[in-house]
Amino acid sequence: MRIIIGEGSCGIAAGALKVHKALEKAAEGKNIRIGITGCVGMCFLEPIVDIYDEEKLVKRLVKVSENDAQRIVCAAEKNDYSDIDDLVISKEDEEFLSLQTRIALRNCGITDPTAIDDYQKRGGYKALEKALSMSPEEVIEEIKASGLAGRGGAGFPTWYKWSAARKSESKTKYLICNADEGDPGAFMDRAVIESDPHALIEGMLIGAYAIGAAEMIVYVRAEYPLAIKRLEKAIKDAKEAGFIGENILESGFSCKMRIKSGAGAFVCGEETALIESLEGKRGMPRLKPPFPAQSGFKDEPSNINNVETFANVAWIIANGGKEFSKLGTENSKGTKVFALTGKVRKSGLVEVPMGMTLRDVIYKIGGGIKNGKKFKAVQLGGPSGGCIPEELLDTVIDYKALSETGAIMGSGGMVIMDEDTCMVGMSKFFLDFTAEESCGKCVHCRIGTKRMQEILTRMVNGEGREDDVLLLEELCKAIKDGALCGLGQTAPNPVLTTLKYFREEYDEHIFEHRCRAKECTELLTYSIDAEKCRGCTLCAKKCPAKAIEGEVKKPHIIDKEKCIRCGACSKVCRFGAVVVE
Amino acid sequence: MEKIKITVNGKEIFGKSGDTVLNIAAENGIEIPNLCHSKELKSFGACGICLAEEEGNKKLIRTCSAEAYDGMIINTETERVKRARSAALELIMSDHEGDCVGPCSLNCPAHTDVQGYLKKIAEGKDSEAVEIIKKKIPIPASIGRICPHPCEANCRRRLVEEPLSIAYLKAFAADKDLESKSPFVPEIEKESGKKVAIIGGGPAGLAAAYRLRIKGHSVTVFDAMPEMGGMLRYGIPEYRLPKAVLKKETDAIEKLGIVFKNNVKIGENEDFENIRKEFDAVLIAIGAWKDAKIGCAGEELDGVFSGIDFLREVNTGKIPEIGKKVAVVGGGNTAMDACRTALRCGAEEVYVIYRRTRAEAPAEDSEIEEAAEEGVTFKFLTNPDEIIGEDGKVKAVKLQVMELGEADSSGRKKPMPVKGKFETVEVDSVITAIGQKCDAKGFGSVELTQKGTVLMNEQNGATNLEGVFAAGDAVNKGASIAIDAVAEGNLAAKAIEAYLCGMPFEAFEHAYSKREVSEKDYFEIVKKPREKMSVKPAGERKKTFDEVINGFSEAQARNEAKRCLECGCHDFGECKLIRYADENRINTGKFKGVKHNIFTERKLISIERDQGKCMLCGLCVRVCEEKIGKGLLGFRGRGFKTAIKPEFEHGFEIEGCANCLECANICPTGALKIIK
Repeated sequence: MRIIIGEGSCGIAAGALKVHKALEKAAEGKNIRIGITGCVGMCFLEPIVDIYDEEKLVKRLVKVSENDAQRIVCAAEKNDYSDIDDLVISKEDEEFLSLQTRIALRNCGITDPTAIDDYQKRGGYKALEKALSMSPEEVIEEIKASGLAGRGGAGFPTWYKWSAARKSESKTKYLICNADEGDPGAFMDRAVIESDPHALIEGMLIGAYAIGAAEMIVYVRAEYPLAIKRLEKAIKDAKEAGFIGENILESGFSCKMRIKSGAGAFVCGEETALIESLEGKRGMPRLKPPFPAQSGFKDEPSNINNVETFANVAWIIANGGKEFSKLGTENSKGTKVFALTGKVRKSGLVEVPMGMTLRDVIYKIGGGIKNGKKFKAVQLGGPSGGCIPEELLDTVIDYKALSETGAIMGSGGMVIMDEDTCMVGMSKFFLDFTAEESCGKCVHCRIGTKRMQEILTRMVNGEGREDDVLLLEELCKAIKDGALCGLGQTAPNPVLTTLKYFREEYDEHIFEHRCRAKECTELLTYSIDAEKCRGCTLCAKKCPAKAIEGEVKKPHIIDKEKCIRCGACSKVCRFGAVVVE
Repeated sequence: MEKIKITVNGKEIFGKSGDTVLNIAAENGIEIPNLCHSKELKSFGACGICLAEEEGNKKLIRTCSAEAYDGMIINTETERVKRARSAALELIMSDHEGDCVGPCSLNCPAHTDVQGYLKKIAEGKDSEAVEIIKKKIPIPASIGRICPHPCEANCRRRLVEEPLSIAYLKAFAADKDLESKSPFVPEIEKESGKKVAIIGGGPAGLAAAYRLRIKGHSVTVFDAMPEMGGMLRYGIPEYRLPKAVLKKETDAIEKLGIVFKNNVKIGENEDFENIRKEFDAVLIAIGAWKDAKIGCAGEELDGVFSGIDFLREVNTGKIPEIGKKVAVVGGGNTAMDACRTALRCGAEEVYVIYRRTRAEAPAEDSEIEEAAEEGVTFKFLTNPDEIIGEDGKVKAVKLQVMELGEADSSGRKKPMPVKGKFETVEVDSVITAIGQKCDAKGFGSVELTQKGTVLMNEQNGATNLEGVFAAGDAVNKGASIAIDAVAEGNLAAKAIEAYLCGMPFEAFEHAYSKREVSEKDYFEIVKKPREKMSVKPAGERKKTFDEVINGFSEAQARNEAKRCLECGCHDFGECKLIRYADENRINTGKFKGVKHNIFTERKLISIERDQGKCMLCGLCVRVCEEKIGKGLLGFRGRGFKTAIKPEFEHGFEIEGCANCLECANICPTGALKIIK
């Protein structure tokens, strides 16, 4: 029997390492092997422990604590699980996985990311072997047939970039993997590298062969130490196995590979800024043209794809482009990984075929909204994306269909918002982010996003001006037209979509000084309902501003001048007597 | 490289393949605005000004990097491009702080380049100073003596100790120039063959005449009086502005080839419609020569003079019979001129009757002071209730005592009669100087305002009649100070020039950046008090019409001019940012928000960097790296806080700088200033 612990960053954060230690101790001297795997994607159930009989998954245990170790080992030893019934995943939660279609995440949560042979057991590096037996052009044709498009956000056809880089003549071409995952709420790439680094390496090797690259570089953000560690190990193992280096699998094709850790500027996820950073310069986007396929890293032809894109490649070569293209819609083929977060009951990594509706992702896989609240909107594509309201939830996952709503597919951030989310505040959150992360190079982004941020700040503070919405719209238009790179050009999207679908909330903030979600504290007033108040004095004791007065057993009163709207009274009141308006 | 053809704004031009749209356009004489581009350096794409629409492309392109191809069609003047470009400029200006021009110049109605001419005066180059002044004021020796100098009111030196004596320095330079062997004479452009009639030879008319003549037009100035100069000649007393000085300046104007026709009064000995027929354009600049009436009993008595008439009489050499005791009614400069002139005409007791207090009096402080020194008695808070006569002649004036009430619409406290409180002053004559009115008779169907002034469109100086423009005291709000009339004359000249060329014209406000300052910003400046102008003793001067002031000595003038703080940007003339901002008529306040920290620093050998003026185009960074190969400058920080910082900030000066000055030379604004 094998006991496998999910040890991705999220599992570890939930306590997987402690569980691992406890299980090892419990299994000492027993015929049970303890092993690890990466992230299966069910963040809401971590730490997760799987019990395998050889290759067969026998039981999946969730929310495991170190105190459960003894009985888990006992159960596994006896092959009788009645004693750990409480830990076994529920039928409903199993649907989180069973409704998915996994290609990029095919090994995540199954194989040991630190063991190359585990990867090979599941067909790993067979696709490379197959690709090397094809001509580079044939490989590109296969990718073209698959319809694979860039999963980093822009959705540009992968084969086209590869073909352009293939055609650029140079001895030293570069294949670069963009793992500078920067969207707030996105962790797809991290999960892939931590859980299945060889899938990335194999995909990159096939790409490198296709374009004729002499070196592969993975640009990972330094905030992903575990991913870097596992990838380093995987590269080392792959080198030793002869998959990386000179004359790979005696095909005559040679390619080096290395990791570059980035200092975490959001803009370095923009491919030309990434190249600047790789070259040791300040991460600022370059003008295009020239495109990286003509002149990229060190002015040599370079191809850049993101992690998820590469993670699909080996599967496509192994199974054929046609097989991949069977999944999805006319415009968008294959699957897409999303990081489902926010006010959704089941959060985690979700890989679904293109063409599934947002409603199915959120309600069927995600289990709907937390705490019985009402759905309000879903934000796709992080700070570059937009929000989609309830009435458009039947929109399918498809590059074209999503961009028609004003949002974008993006790299896969999917943040769910409920009725308690203020849409003006949400826009401000993203604008705060882009304004802060702007590289400062172009006028439109550097100053434009700052001005948008100032306007939104005015609004949430109840100081919005009559023509602020018009001014915002004008700024959005100007920035979209004038910003240098994708980060700037898409920065207005959260504002544009909330203006499109939730304009009334902007008007309420400006003209009525009201926030319907009650999130904008500056717009709230706190008072005490004298009929409900029992005079317990608790609120007065908790109030940090000493704004509440009243005698014991008599109704209390909040001094609105002194009140700092922190909400402490409301939280502490057991009688629901604090009225927030 | 093969030759390719591209179309820019409908014009077909040729260039080499592989070159950028911006470069090809520039080689063909088409300027696509840009702020961060240099042909010597790699394209950068920061400013977002060089945007254009490319046919078949949904996105706007940056022409500085877009490679041209044969058959490419580019448009840089579509509404979308113009809007995007303006937005970029508006965003830049929202975070740009400097003084494009000095506050002195901004407050001058004619926007004279004060800083420019003060520098020349400081250097002892008076004629060059006059050349600068005459771009705006063709009669500086006269204006310099009498101008109430709004420039000085705004002079930043007041935050150190006292403002500069700007007005008089102008007169000083102009006097020196007039005395010199070869006074400044402007160049006259090729004769245009167009004829312009200017009706009225006062400051407005003369300014317009001068400017239009320089443009090569044939100009005739008609004036009702025997000599040119208008109110400067017939309103301002000799002791303030010697007529000989004015004459020299009007003569110089006449010498440019302008025809002066004096003693011509429209509607009396010349017909307006004839003039309109004969000339391609007409400017009405007839001034405001009628006095406003007091409206009390006895105003018709013998011995009641209108201030303007009285001054005109004196200025034509006559001495009216005013007797020994004179009351002057009014608190403005005309009243001061009248009371001081009365003294010089032999009056022994002169009273100024003014219904408010000294604080509200519109006359210059120095005028009031000098009048008091000369013995004028000020009766503030009194108003004529009746002029009492005997045998049809003034005997006394009965004054209603006043007090100040609430502030009125002009912001001044309203004078209210104190019930039943009167006093009587025995006088031989009363001179009224409570305001001027325009007498615009004889101009056919030209539209007038309710005040009786000529109705003028302030955007383009035009009246309701085709080809007829108006300026000066005769228009809209009526009489004002001479420099206002000069400014309006200049505006009218521009409008007439455009009209004669068949071009549209609209005045606009410059997109100037203005710096907010306080005393704190100047605490390091060494105090240097304003040069004192010496004046003749009161007892001596009140007996004659000789000029009251003695003028500056040469040393005084140079010292005074050197006090200038040079607030205006040194790079104003070459600044691309302000040029584009003006050309695109941007709204500077549209995206108003917080600005960068503003400071100046000196870390490169002889360059001062002004953070307020830096717009992060990166030209300095790139020229140092790409051309000089040093890379001493760089960007630091992210987002709005991004700044150009010397890479090594520890020492005072950056090590390795060879003082090549390339960074300062390439800077498109005034952010980098070479310190000599």
